[in-house]
Amino acid sequence: MPEREVQPQASLTIRLQVNGEEREGAVEGRTTLADFLRDQLGLTGTHLGCEHGVCGACTVLLDSQPARSCLVLAASADGSRVETVEGLAENGQLSRLQQAMWDSHSFQCGFCTPGFLIQAAALLAENPSPTEAEVRHALSGNLCRCTGYESIVRGVMAAAGGPEPAGAEPR
Amino acid sequence: MKARVPAERYTGASVRRVEDERLLTGRGSFVADAQLPGMLHAAFCRSPLPHARILAVNTEAARLAPGVVAVFDGAQMAQMASPVADPGDSPRSGGPVSFGILAVDKARLVGDPVALVVAQSRALAEDACELIQVEYQELAPVVTVEQALDPSLPVIFEELGGNRLFGPETKVFGDVDGAFARADRVVRASIRQHRHQNVPMEGRAILANFDAGSGQLLVRAATQGVNTTRQTLAEQLRMPLDRVRVVAEDVGGSFGLKFGASREEVACCAASRELGRPVRWIEDRWENLTVSGQAREESFEVEAAVTSAGRILALKVEMVIDSGAYPGFAPLVVDIVREMIPGPYRLEALSFTGSGVVTNKASYVAYRGPWAAETFVRERMIDLVAQELGISAPEVRLRNLAVRDEPPLRMVTGPSLAGITARESLLRAVEILDLTGFREEQLRLREEGRYLGIGFATYIEPAPGPRQEGGEENTEQVRVELDQDGSLLVHTAQMPHGQGHRTTLAQVAADEFGVRLEQVQVMVGDTQRTPTGFGTGGSRFAAMAGGAALHGARRLRGKVLEAAAQILDLAPAELDISGGELVGPGVPGGRLPLAELIGRIDLAARSGQLPPGTDADLTATADFDGGESGWSGGTHCCVVEVDAATGLVRILRYLVVEDCGDMINPAVVDGQIRGGVAQGVGAVLLERSAYDPEGQYLSATLMDYLLPTALDVPHIEIEHLSPVRLDPDVNFRGVGEGGMIAAPPTICNAIADALSPFGPRVLEQHLPPTRILELIGALPD
Ligand code: FES
Ligand code: FES
Repeated sequence: MPEREVQPQASLTIRLQVNGEEREGAVEGRTTLADFLRDQLGLTGTHLGCEHGVCGACTVLLDSQPARSCLVLAASADGSRVETVEGLAENGQLSRLQQAMWDSHSFQCGFCTPGFLIQAAALLAENPSPTEAEVRHALSGNLCRCTGYESIVRGVMAAAGGPEPAGAEPR
Repeated sequence: MKARVPAERYTGASVRRVEDERLLTGRGSFVADAQLPGMLHAAFCRSPLPHARILAVNTEAARLAPGVVAVFDGAQMAQMASPVADPGDSPRSGGPVSFGILAVDKARLVGDPVALVVAQSRALAEDACELIQVEYQELAPVVTVEQALDPSLPVIFEELGGNRLFGPETKVFGDVDGAFARADRVVRASIRQHRHQNVPMEGRAILANFDAGSGQLLVRAATQGVNTTRQTLAEQLRMPLDRVRVVAEDVGGSFGLKFGASREEVACCAASRELGRPVRWIEDRWENLTVSGQAREESFEVEAAVTSAGRILALKVEMVIDSGAYPGFAPLVVDIVREMIPGPYRLEALSFTGSGVVTNKASYVAYRGPWAAETFVRERMIDLVAQELGISAPEVRLRNLAVRDEPPLRMVTGPSLAGITARESLLRAVEILDLTGFREEQLRLREEGRYLGIGFATYIEPAPGPRQEGGEENTEQVRVELDQDGSLLVHTAQMPHGQGHRTTLAQVAADEFGVRLEQVQVMVGDTQRTPTGFGTGGSRFAAMAGGAALHGARRLRGKVLEAAAQILDLAPAELDISGGELVGPGVPGGRLPLAELIGRIDLAARSGQLPPGTDADLTATADFDGGESGWSGGTHCCVVEVDAATGLVRILRYLVVEDCGDMINPAVVDGQIRGGVAQGVGAVLLERSAYDPEGQYLSATLMDYLLPTALDVPHIEIEHLSPVRLDPDVNFRGVGEGGMIAAPPTICNAIADALSPFGPRVLEQHLPPTRILELIGALPD
């Protein structure tokens, strides 16, 4: 069957800063920020777990605030600053948060990981030494099906350098 | 050859996972991350009705829609791929049924795929799905077991002649009538589990790429085992096995869901072959919740023959499983539940009747600890017995648990209970929780209108279970190979999807062979080099794959030392491999890096300098059945507070005392346990795959199907018991499923205990606030 090439209808050009770099792209009105990051910029570290705003796997920082990139239209992010999981490490060095998560065996399958990292980074930027309850609260909008959350909470607490959470067992 | 004990062992240490650096930096590689030139995207047009005849499918408009490359309806797909057929002649068969990869004449559940659209983007494919016109003739939906057994309702599969899929079949172990005759009383209960489901954060996914030139189908899959996926695809697509290659990289969780290849995945491969282009399908969350599969909907009629002293002599059990629309896994579940229901207890006799039905709901799939109903029913029943006899529930357990040095140390259904530590786990849990102190506190708080409860559940989990005398050979294969640079490649059919096998298998192999952890690469997920084995599942990893890696590394080490001894003219006993180097007093300079040694062995072999009979092929394969390792198990204990005004349950304390043998990586073990318990918390307090009376699915988004969050899952205390070591070498045991097996009865027992002043008998597993208010009489039942 002949295949008709489709020109995206009403394509818009957007410019934004992603992980410190100026990026530009043509998007359709309905393209989400998540799809733009993943499909056009190749930043596949941001994951899609539900595409309806519940799981948090797609969380990125949009002008320093955590946002669900599955619910943000790419066009509306024009001119914004976006940070994704790929931007957390600097010059190949894991951030303190990433390192603490690694040391704490925070994750299993890794699918929820980008969302938790971004959400936790946003928390720590605002509140550098949160209590365990504050960490749990801040992460309560992100779903992880593998871990039962304790290892993730422990990782964030370790990154904050605060006291080990109540349940921490020394190894 | 003797096992070596290096000074510092990786095995037993919570070493950091080798998987994590990639995953933490956003460089994981899931199927949805893969792009190929010319790649097309799939979307399915799905039935909005639970039960309907398909009279006509008109795909005309969809074909002409922008960006659409092809549309396939059920009839076309039937030309491209074989129907899923079960001849109904195997003992585990669900009866003689056959159904299309896409629905042909009939839709059997909401979401049944009716047509496949392949287009330039997912969005365009979905747009075109909207344009497909399907003419349905509605049939009365069969939503419950009662409806399935109602002959006045339409049958879902004509060839079954009814909606009963199998059974009822009764098997009797021991002298059931004698035990019931000796009993002081019979305790009866109807206990049920509700439908809930896996919900991995990554749904199903596939990228199929048929190369017309070579006739090869290359598949990127999200799977628990590439061999199984390849087998299914080759059969359904009627292709020779060697024309199908399945590769898997990162997999975002599964919990039993991603085995073989689903109908949608087969359809995408068929489309790729037809079009000669790559076709990718990424299941969305609606599809995942609605059609990927569901589990656990089982009901039980139980009678227990008990003595006044609290001995449970025998059980009569009738189990009915709701298999959902398309038969598959349910008959096997019934088999395992029957075998496992005695658990670690000294039951003298059992009569077990199992049967299954089909309904217009999502198909039954494996979900973490698929046979878990045996523990739920038994542990709930024990508490009901305790309540009737006025004996404490842990005490009833103690009076019935098998004692390790007292024969017969065997379940009445057959399997040996050698090495179990169930008793010890219960005693330890009672001690840690200070049961006496808790009871005082509980009474005191009740005076204040606060309702606390404590619950226990004791279980064993085949991990992989004892050797079955005369049973089929069931092994896991590992191939160990030295690469030219001195690194050790460990090939396994296990397919990690969160379990950290790339780390844990490397720990075992590194210790046994004598290399540093960084020198080991665990190779998974490519049918071109993956050894035989069905994949990750059934708690096969630790004992079976771990043991095979240990024996494989040991064998290869023997070979290398032998060859090195020839080259250096020394005795193998004078040599050792340690830290990735050949060491020994006679080795020139005291040490020789492995890479150099391999070069020399290779050269010597090629120039004929090795004596005949020396094996210079630096590869070793080992098959291992898990040895004597047998059972994992333990006791979970939970303390809850129930708010009688709102019905909300708060978990105040959760304790796991368990034994999974020698741990390879304790942090990985604890992660498996906590993750499993979290799913149990969800099952009892939040999760339910709900259908309305018309068969419409009500839990199709994550706002309706509630997963537990960081606020719902408590801190989980874990104590590991020291195991009984029955195998000379391998005493690791699987640990993936126990958390999810034991948590639901533990939490339900705790809630039932908290509600005891209100007097309800808790006979179900799903206890959200509304149900609790019904149970205490605050809401009408
Ligand atoms: S994918 Fe955006 S919240 Fe789930
Ligand atoms: S680690 Fe698998 S979903 Fe969180």
